[in-house]
Amino acid sequence: MAGITIGGLSKTYGARSANAAAVSDLDLVIEDNQFVTLLGPSGCGKTTTLRLIAGYIMPDTGTIHVDDRLVSSPASVVSPDRRGMGMVFQNYAVWPHKTVFENVAFGLKLRKMAAAKLRNQVEEALGLVNLTGLEGRYPNELSGGQQQRVALARSLVVEPEILLLDEPLSNLDAKLREHMRNELKQLQRRTGITFVYVTHDQTEALALSDRIAVMHAGRLQQYGTPYEVYARPANRIVADFMGLVNLMPATVVTARGDRGVVDLGSDLRLDLALPSGSAAGERVEVAVRPENVRLGTEDGGGDARARAEIVDRTFLGNLTEYYVKLGSDQILRAQTHPRQEFAIGDKVVIAVDASQCSVFRGERDAAQAA
Amino acid sequence: MAAAILALCILVLLPLCSLLIGSIRGEGGVTIGHFTEALSSRLYLKPLYNSLVLGTLTGLFSVLIGLPMAWAVSRTNIPGRRFIQLTATLSYLSPPFLIAIAYVNLLSPNSGLINVFLRDVLDANWLTFNIFSMAGLVLVTVPHTFPYVFLLASSALQSVDASYEEAAEILGAGKVRTALLITAPLVAPAILSGALLAFVNAIALFGSQAIVGLPGRIVTLPTRIYALFDYPPEYGLASALSLLFVAITVIALYLQRSFLARRSYVTLGGKGSRPQLVDLGWVRWVVFGGCFIVFLVAIVAPYGALLAVSVSKSWGLDFWKNLTLANYRFVLFQYDVTQRAILNSLLLAVLAATFVVSVGAMIGWIELRTRLPGRRYLDYVALIPMGLPGIVMAVALIQFWLAMPIALYGTLTILLLAYAGRYIPLGVRAANSALRQIDSSLEESARILGAGWGTTMREVTLPLMRPGLFAGWLLVFVPSIQELSASILLFSSSSITLAVAVYNLYETGYIEPVAALSIISILIIGVAIWLANKVGGVEIGRAGGTRHEGVGS
Repeated sequence: MAGITIGGLSKTYGARSANAAAVSDLDLVIEDNQFVTLLGPSGCGKTTTLRLIAGYIMPDTGTIHVDDRLVSSPASVVSPDRRGMGMVFQNYAVWPHKTVFENVAFGLKLRKMAAAKLRNQVEEALGLVNLTGLEGRYPNELSGGQQQRVALARSLVVEPEILLLDEPLSNLDAKLREHMRNELKQLQRRTGITFVYVTHDQTEALALSDRIAVMHAGRLQQYGTPYEVYARPANRIVADFMGLVNLMPATVVTARGDRGVVDLGSDLRLDLALPSGSAAGERVEVAVRPENVRLGTEDGGGDARARAEIVDRTFLGNLTEYYVKLGSDQILRAQTHPRQEFAIGDKVVIAVDASQCSVFRGERDAAQAA
Repeated sequence: MAAAILALCILVLLPLCSLLIGSIRGEGGVTIGHFTEALSSRLYLKPLYNSLVLGTLTGLFSVLIGLPMAWAVSRTNIPGRRFIQLTATLSYLSPPFLIAIAYVNLLSPNSGLINVFLRDVLDANWLTFNIFSMAGLVLVTVPHTFPYVFLLASSALQSVDASYEEAAEILGAGKVRTALLITAPLVAPAILSGALLAFVNAIALFGSQAIVGLPGRIVTLPTRIYALFDYPPEYGLASALSLLFVAITVIALYLQRSFLARRSYVTLGGKGSRPQLVDLGWVRWVVFGGCFIVFLVAIVAPYGALLAVSVSKSWGLDFWKNLTLANYRFVLFQYDVTQRAILNSLLLAVLAATFVVSVGAMIGWIELRTRLPGRRYLDYVALIPMGLPGIVMAVALIQFWLAMPIALYGTLTILLLAYAGRYIPLGVRAANSALRQIDSSLEESARILGAGWGTTMREVTLPLMRPGLFAGWLLVFVPSIQELSASILLFSSSSITLAVAVYNLYETGYIEPVAALSIISILIIGVAIWLANKVGGVEIGRAGGTRHEGVGS
């Protein structure tokens, strides 16, 4: 099996101006037998990174090693057909002129496998993705989910050390997507193949990955476990991208070492971890996830509490979402158990779980405000 | 609506019926004698054979030229992509019979300029080429037909989803293997379909087959059918032979359709990325050189030859020593046919295009927006003329209208009927695809706001269809103004058309005035296309997807 080491990788399409870089200065170590997700909005460079790993495109700078073997550098690129990887495409790319069997057998035929053994291997691969019995079908006789499985079987049957997946679930309907998500996860655990998975869906990334690489504007923002990137986002881009978040301006009141107290206005003070180098009086931003805001009727006292008024309410089935207005006229989004019924106009007291909040230094720049 | 159905009957169904009747009517009632004669006499089997050979060779060479050009343009970093596309467009638009006349001036065995040069100056007799041969016929036909392959193949190559190829590569297939195992099977239907269109269009070209084939005693189906109208005309035999001709064309078109239908999976897929362009290195200049040779052979040589001949007193190696404009003066002002022919052709092309598009719009509307029973058949009937070569259409019209109490033979009206009938598929196609793109909810929302049928048509449907209809109008106008295959049997001295005037003058043997008249026709066609583009803002080279279906002139 194999790990991937990416160092100083950059790729620019067309004119080489720094702004237009699809990927810039990317360092990433993907360990063997891991399920790693490249996550980010469209245009963040995740697909370019995947295609660089596959060898379809040449990097402008940097290197890609598979184990100790150099496979990509600006000077030379090992072509995709000699990398021993597998890839599943967003549109499956199941060849329409070949049957299911022929699609899956293609890679084995290139490897000159004897007919009997080949048949066994193909059967086995089709069994793995629950497609036994559909060998003779053409792709246009299959559903989207079935085509997806053919693409998977085709990649797995050649026993690649690394499997690359480019948004493989994005064309499936919601139910099937969840089902395939579980299958993919189990498949990775069972086979021990290193999966590199590209998606823009953070739920998918959280559910599947051992580690997530969050990308934005061609740069790696954070690389960590799903819990780390969700609960301890490295910057406000990551916080914003990983689910819903309230980004609230605040002032540091006291700072001692890596902890301190920040004032969010409206009598709301939080005692939490600060970025290193923070000093009293500094303007910062606090990221508060809606599920870490609790609503109550009694003022039990304490710093992490403030009075507020319900201004909007949306029932979402498994939870209820409230918009509450603080004394400073600031609007905060909170998600609670669906049973808890406040009405618009109710006066409430909010409590924030400071241990689950993150603090970011510096002014919030306009481009990311959206 | 009734008008459209009536038009289809008069233009297509009735002439076709009279062709069928004519082919089995003998002196003593029903007979299959015409068919047995057509299928047993060497007089008719040889032309049949020649037509098939011509079509096959043309199809083959169209692939040999069109496919590498298509591949170079869509998959490599070859320079001058626009230029290569323009070469294909111009080749397609050039009137094939004028190309034939031009090449006669260059390559006729005795006086062709290139042959004279090779023989007298270089003393290289073995290099001379006789245009009056099957090879010569293929040479003058392929420039008109290779664009079919080029267009279909390049659009297929561009629409093959890159991930199909990438999937093969990551499984271990190299570039060549990927091309052979994945790309080739995916685009093969488009290439075959282009080759068949080249075949169908090649065998229907009366002009080049008469100009280049007949002097070399290569008689083909159109020229044989034409000869049957020499006095005394043999209608029965001509009808039978025409029907054989139609059978060949229809079979080829049927195959073409079924190949093209299989092409549908080329555009399948979701996001789909464009294939990476192959870096050819210095080889790209070699490939470009190849394309440039096509440009020389299809455009520069024939047009240059016509221009040179048209300004020389007598065509030969020293032509540049005695330049003159007398030929132009002669054909424009002294040859009394010219002006009439120009006016006739312009009038016919405008009327035919307008008529065809109007009928096409009505038929498209009936098919897509009404519940009229049997409306599907209307569409089928409108497509029948695709299988009718021009000369066959002429034979059918003669048969039909000679039996009618109205004397139409030799009038502009019968020519108009012939053009409209031949090109009605283009109009129906254009209208159909224009209307298909207009969601019926756009019309329905006008209706719910209180607009009647007429207002909806005028305010919503027609304005939205206009670009598509105009493209269709051009598609009919361009071949109409250079139509020869049907006109040659239907014209009279008063209804003579431009192409017929050129052909008749050529028959008389004065090559310099012919060249002048050819240049004048090219200018008229060119200006007409340019004007139409100006007015309509449509580029003819991209005038809708219907173009590949075109029926040659």
